[in-house]
Amino acid sequence: MRRRILALLPWLALCAVPLLTNGYSQYIINLILVNVTVITGLNFLLGYAGQFSFSHAALMGIGAYTAALLSARVGISFWIGLPLAGVASAAIGLLAAISAMRLKRVYLALVTVAFAELLVWVLNNWRAVTLGTDGVNLPVPSLFGWDVDGDKRVFYVVLACTATMWWLARRILESHIGRAFIAIRENEILAQCNGINVPLTKSLVFAMSAFYAGIGGALFALVLGFIVPASFGLLTLVTQFSAVVLGGPLNLAGGAIGALLLTALPEVLRDFQGLQEVIYGVVLIVCVVVMPGGIAGLLQHLGVLPAEALARHWRRLPTPAAPPSAADGTP
Amino acid sequence: MTVPRLVVEEVSVRFGGLAAVDRVSLAIAPGEIRGLIGPNGAGKTTLFNAVAGLVYASAGRILLDGTDITRLPPHRRAHAGVRRSFQSVQLLGRLNVLENVLLGLHQSMARGMLASAADVLLRARREALAQTAAMQTLDYLGIADLALRPVAALSFAQQRYVEIARALAPRPRLLMLDEPAAGLSPAEVARMDGLLRQLRNEGMSILLVEHVLSLVFEVSDSISVLNNGRLISGGTPQAVAADPAVQAAYLGDEYNALT
Repeated sequence: MRRRILALLPWLALCAVPLLTNGYSQYIINLILVNVTVITGLNFLLGYAGQFSFSHAALMGIGAYTAALLSARVGISFWIGLPLAGVASAAIGLLAAISAMRLKRVYLALVTVAFAELLVWVLNNWRAVTLGTDGVNLPVPSLFGWDVDGDKRVFYVVLACTATMWWLARRILESHIGRAFIAIRENEILAQCNGINVPLTKSLVFAMSAFYAGIGGALFALVLGFIVPASFGLLTLVTQFSAVVLGGPLNLAGGAIGALLLTALPEVLRDFQGLQEVIYGVVLIVCVVVMPGGIAGLLQHLGVLPAEALARHWRRLPTPAAPPSAADGTP
Repeated sequence: MTVPRLVVEEVSVRFGGLAAVDRVSLAIAPGEIRGLIGPNGAGKTTLFNAVAGLVYASAGRILLDGTDITRLPPHRRAHAGVRRSFQSVQLLGRLNVLENVLLGLHQSMARGMLASAADVLLRARREALAQTAAMQTLDYLGIADLALRPVAALSFAQQRYVEIARALAPRPRLLMLDEPAAGLSPAEVARMDGLLRQLRNEGMSILLVEHVLSLVFEVSDSISVLNNGRLISGGTPQAVAADPAVQAAYLGDEYNALT
């Protein structure tokens, strides 16, 4: 119980953030939270399960457009559109999983890049539905008469969603599902011989990762209020990959750190104008060369960040009852 | 007469024109240790993989407790109770000892999609049961104190025991060990010998591929000898050791050193 309260503390502390921000910094913080959700999804796929899929940004776009179009053009409330956005992305993400059954590494990457480009092309050109490059406005959602307008109100919605998605991610990773993800990353033969259904597990990780992208996309639409297809192209994808690699694949906290840095860094560097992209690139390269395990790997190495547990209930770990028969010495 | 635990019936495995395993038949009784020996390239590993499902038999049948598993994919065979260790120890470095053993219990937590999801999100009862089973297995092997250690920090022999724990935790019907004594010191081999006997006495059926012949001839109830993909001899360790065909094909100097 005490541990649960301790785990809640950082989230409660975050609730006070709007007291310290102005409109612009609040907007950036909202974006960071959105990206924490998105990057957590990509971390499942790329970090834990080791699947080189490049359609994450496009799937985020599917989520954003699902929520925005349902709300703007069909009149379905954003609160219903939000989970639907996750489901729509998950369904389309499953299509990418089909190629993962047959292809590995760079081949899978190529196919999913093409798949992502196709999705963005549809967003651009299916004007009758998506309005193409004109973009879509998301009407201000209202929660029991409380209009979610302004960055400070949006913040609480995004915070609640991000916290929920974070909790979900931890539960999954601490279960047999999380361990199965790591097993298929490391050694598929080993996974099979331990009774893990590899195609099913791959489908699951693609769908789950896409679900996170979809929810993140819908929240992205909420934060921006207006979306265009260009937000979900290759550049966004590269940034997301950088966030996972820089923050530390195989670590949820690392993903969050990566999301924070790669959302905030361009804003901080805005003063440098022309040098902005150069500094951004140099920082990335140096980090990857110096810290192969990402920032989280470095922090773990320094003993600041505890190793991530992949099983629940350590405290209540059962002391073994009498063994079936006396063990025969220790090896 | 009791149904054999494992029946391999006229099984062939072909890679292109080459028959890596050629019409091999054998039966293992419940509570029997079967040694499988033969020179390098004799087809031992291929036969092993055919039983585990990593390669499919081109011809013949494989039965587990009378049920045909010839066409089942490897994970379904694992569910059915076929578990194996690997020649080179295969553990996940990102996981600690307990988490590695829990991998072997995957199916006990994954059964039923909705039940599994509810358990993951809310109760974790199956996870707790699996952890109990994993700890009992580690305790049985005398390595419970290592449960929370990273596997990279263990000695080679300890890693091998963790792998055996992972195979034993789900209480398999058939335990297949691929060279469990390779790289162990004589004292550690003696301990492995004791463990195998103890498992056999509790009714476990074991298929043992091993190059440490002293161990195979010591613990096996019976031995099958492969050469060039064919079964050239089989029977009690004494009969196999005395078989001139075996001596000619395989044992040679090693055999003389043994006796």
